[in-house]
Amino acid sequence: MISGRGRGKIRPPRRGLGGNADSSDFDAMWDILRSALREIHEKNASKLSFEQLYRASYKIVLKKQGDKLYDRVKEYEEQWFGSQVMPAIRKLITNNLINTTVGGGVAGTTANERRITGEEFLKGLKASWEDHNTVMNMTTDVLMYMDRVYCADNRKPSIFTTAMGLFRDHILRSRLVSADSELTTFDILNSVILDQIYMERGGDVINRHLIRSCVYMLEGLYETDEENEHEKLYLTVFEIEFLKASRIFYQNESANLLREADASTWLRQTKRRFAEEEARCQTTISLLTAPKIARVLEDTMIREHLQDFLAMEGSGIKAMIENDRYADLTLLYQHISRVDPSKEPLKNALQTRVVDLGSEINKTILNTDFSAAPEPQPEEGEAAAEGNEKPKATKLSAAARQTAAAIKWVDLVLQLKDKFDNMWKKCFDEDLILQTALTKSFSDFINLFPRCSEYVSLFIDDNLKRGIKGKTETEIDEVLDKATMLLRYIQDKDMFERYYKKHLARRLLHDKSESADVEKQMISRMKLEIGNSFTNKLEGMFKDMAMSDDLTAAYRTHISNLGDIDLKQIDLGARILTSNYWPMESMGGGATIGEDGNRQTCTWPSEIQALQDSFKAFYLRERNGRMLTWLGFLGSADIRCIFPKIPGKEGVLGRERRHEINVPTYGMVVLLLFNDLADGEYLSFEEIQQRTNIPQQNLIHILHTLAVLPKCRVLRKHPANKDPPKPGDKFCFNESFTSKSVKIKAPVISGSVNKVEGEEERKDTEDRNDEHRGNVIDTVIVRIMKARKVFSHQQLFAEVISQLSQRFKPDLSMMKRRVESLIEREYLERVEDANTPTYRYLA
Amino acid sequence: MATSNEGGLSKYVTLVSSDGFEFVVLREAACKSGAIKRMLDPKSSFAESTTGRCTFEEINGIVLEKVAEYFYYSYKNRNQEDVPDMDIPPELCLELLMAADFLDT
Repeated sequence: MISGRGRGKIRPPRRGLGGNADSSDFDAMWDILRSALREIHEKNASKLSFEQLYRASYKIVLKKQGDKLYDRVKEYEEQWFGSQVMPAIRKLITNNLINTTVGGGVAGTTANERRITGEEFLKGLKASWEDHNTVMNMTTDVLMYMDRVYCADNRKPSIFTTAMGLFRDHILRSRLVSADSELTTFDILNSVILDQIYMERGGDVINRHLIRSCVYMLEGLYETDEENEHEKLYLTVFEIEFLKASRIFYQNESANLLREADASTWLRQTKRRFAEEEARCQTTISLLTAPKIARVLEDTMIREHLQDFLAMEGSGIKAMIENDRYADLTLLYQHISRVDPSKEPLKNALQTRVVDLGSEINKTILNTDFSAAPEPQPEEGEAAAEGNEKPKATKLSAAARQTAAAIKWVDLVLQLKDKFDNMWKKCFDEDLILQTALTKSFSDFINLFPRCSEYVSLFIDDNLKRGIKGKTETEIDEVLDKATMLLRYIQDKDMFERYYKKHLARRLLHDKSESADVEKQMISRMKLEIGNSFTNKLEGMFKDMAMSDDLTAAYRTHISNLGDIDLKQIDLGARILTSNYWPMESMGGGATIGEDGNRQTCTWPSEIQALQDSFKAFYLRERNGRMLTWLGFLGSADIRCIFPKIPGKEGVLGRERRHEINVPTYGMVVLLLFNDLADGEYLSFEEIQQRTNIPQQNLIHILHTLAVLPKCRVLRKHPANKDPPKPGDKFCFNESFTSKSVKIKAPVISGSVNKVEGEEERKDTEDRNDEHRGNVIDTVIVRIMKARKVFSHQQLFAEVISQLSQRFKPDLSMMKRRVESLIEREYLERVEDANTPTYRYLA
Repeated sequence: MATSNEGGLSKYVTLVSSDGFEFVVLREAACKSGAIKRMLDPKSSFAESTTGRCTFEEINGIVLEKVAEYFYYSYKNRNQEDVPDMDIPPELCLELLMAADFLDT
């Protein structure tokens, strides 16, 4: 039929012949194709000539009989399924298998048996699928021309697609003859695969490859012949079942874990399951499922019981934090971040822990504080050791112990912070949300502690005084970092400033500071952290110190230039303090304020007065209009004392002894009185007070130092006992004083050592701070109102709080009082008949 | 068969025309045609793929020669742009078109 046609010259197109084609032509060619299909199915394709078959289908299509060919092929495949493939598969579907599907695991069949029958079935199904696939590929090749021309023109699915659909309809969706139920091969396939996966989850080894092949099959088949990507049978049927089964499985598992295991096991098991399912998606089923099964796991294994596991006694989050179980915490963090990007549960748990632990610290320290005072013995060793005091110092005063406690508190807080920081770095992937949460909770509990500002300042003081001795720069940096960090947490920055100023003043005036460099570093850090206004005065204090040094030097040159004036060789080192910068009251000057509010000066000995006048003259020469006030309660003096030999005594007492005694300024004033006194004469307390005009409290302190404490007892007190001096006591020069060292530093009772404030002192500080705050609030309110003119109550308060947040958290009632007082003073007035309470600024 | 199994597939295939002309063509070039490609696909193992010999009973020597020429022409220019047109004698046009349709080239 074909070969007969002449070629070689141009002919009219052959398509014109289509109409003339008779059916015998078609039948003949269909016969060729049909036998070829049979051969292909029976894997005898090598006998066939592709060209011949291709030509046959080409002819048929050219003759417009593509539809017929299409239908015939389809029909042929259907028959083939019915007669050859299905029976083979039916044979594989045993009763056991059906029972597995229907009953979900039947008694009487061991897992092993079940696995083997399941595998048989899967193998059979896989084989027939693979056969079908090869055959259909070949068929499609042969019928390529039909696909290309007929199917494309008539919008029919390609023959391959159709054939795949046939497989789906005739094999997978065929009802089972033996069962009267709705069961199809597909159901069995599903349940067999699920059963196998179930066994694998239980620890059995299964043929993953086989399942993978079957899953491939499902992935290659679609709900309809349109082959919509979302309608893969895998997605529409299998995956749903799979996820359902998995959900049940994992619900059971997590319930079991909750009942029988601890949180640690749970974390590990969950991690393992995640990995397993991930691997399963890669090796056994499809990657498409990976995110979905992960979600199921998240739901069942993590979300549902998270709180229960976190709360577990002995292994929950509390124990994890307590025992630094970093591995567990890392896992926990990973799991939680899976289910909740804000990590709410972890965040809350951490915050609670931080606040709990922090409050514990607060409580212990407060207890040490108060229990130590009345009963020094039991607590002493501990407090002393913690505060790095000499352990043998049994006579630590209560105040010193409290100072130690303060430093201990800071240390504990820092330890806690370190612990959580460490955890944060190691386990929480440096998560920002958690960091914020941690910071917040730290800030919370630190601010809960009423003395935080004071303690932090004391801690810095301690470190600057001696803590940094012999440390490398990096170590110092570390300490400063820590201090700055604590400072960041403190809410009442003004309170801190107050304490810091006080402590700094002491350090500077008594030369206690270890390194001026480090001091300056600390200040610049605070500047960075809080701002210029905060460190302004602190810097001023440093400037004063530097100025004073220059001034002293200049004064010395000045004196030596004068040459002839002999001031009994009194050497003056003056410290000029700008009164605004320095916290006079808290430096011990409180007692010198007289009732009329003026500073009461002591009566200086004549030698000293001459010196003062000379210096004053020198100072005012270059600076007009300044006031110099001499502060007796500050400063110190070196006094050279000569103790005469005592007749009739051997040894030390038999010789003349010279000592240089360093005493506070008041001490000097007192001692100079005794210069003019004859041997054996007494001065009474009242006499001394009257002649020196030193405030009583300071006088008691200084006399205590000089007449009671053994280290520097250059005066003798009558009656001789260890009680602090009081009015009515009498004092005389102690000519039999001895000491091993030439230079003696008189121990100072108060003033030069920074320590925790007593209750009264503290109240005092707070009152002063409140007063200061009141002024600050006034200023802020006036500034705001000046800009706004009219402003509602609520807005005003919000604005004030936000402006002050850098320095402290203002108290609402205080703010109200300030507003009231401003109204009284006619800075503000209330706006009548406004809807909300509103104020107006009065210019 | 022996040739095709040695080191995979032989590099050349033979195209035979209806009037007996044989053209030995580079396999890669011949696979330009969809039909020939499938014909020779070793996976489906039709007779042609095992022998490496394709007989076209509908295409005569003159046309098949031109077809083979085209295979080489397009093989040579496979990765280039601005390729000059191939010279096609007008009297062959129609038959070449039909052959192209048949061969899916």
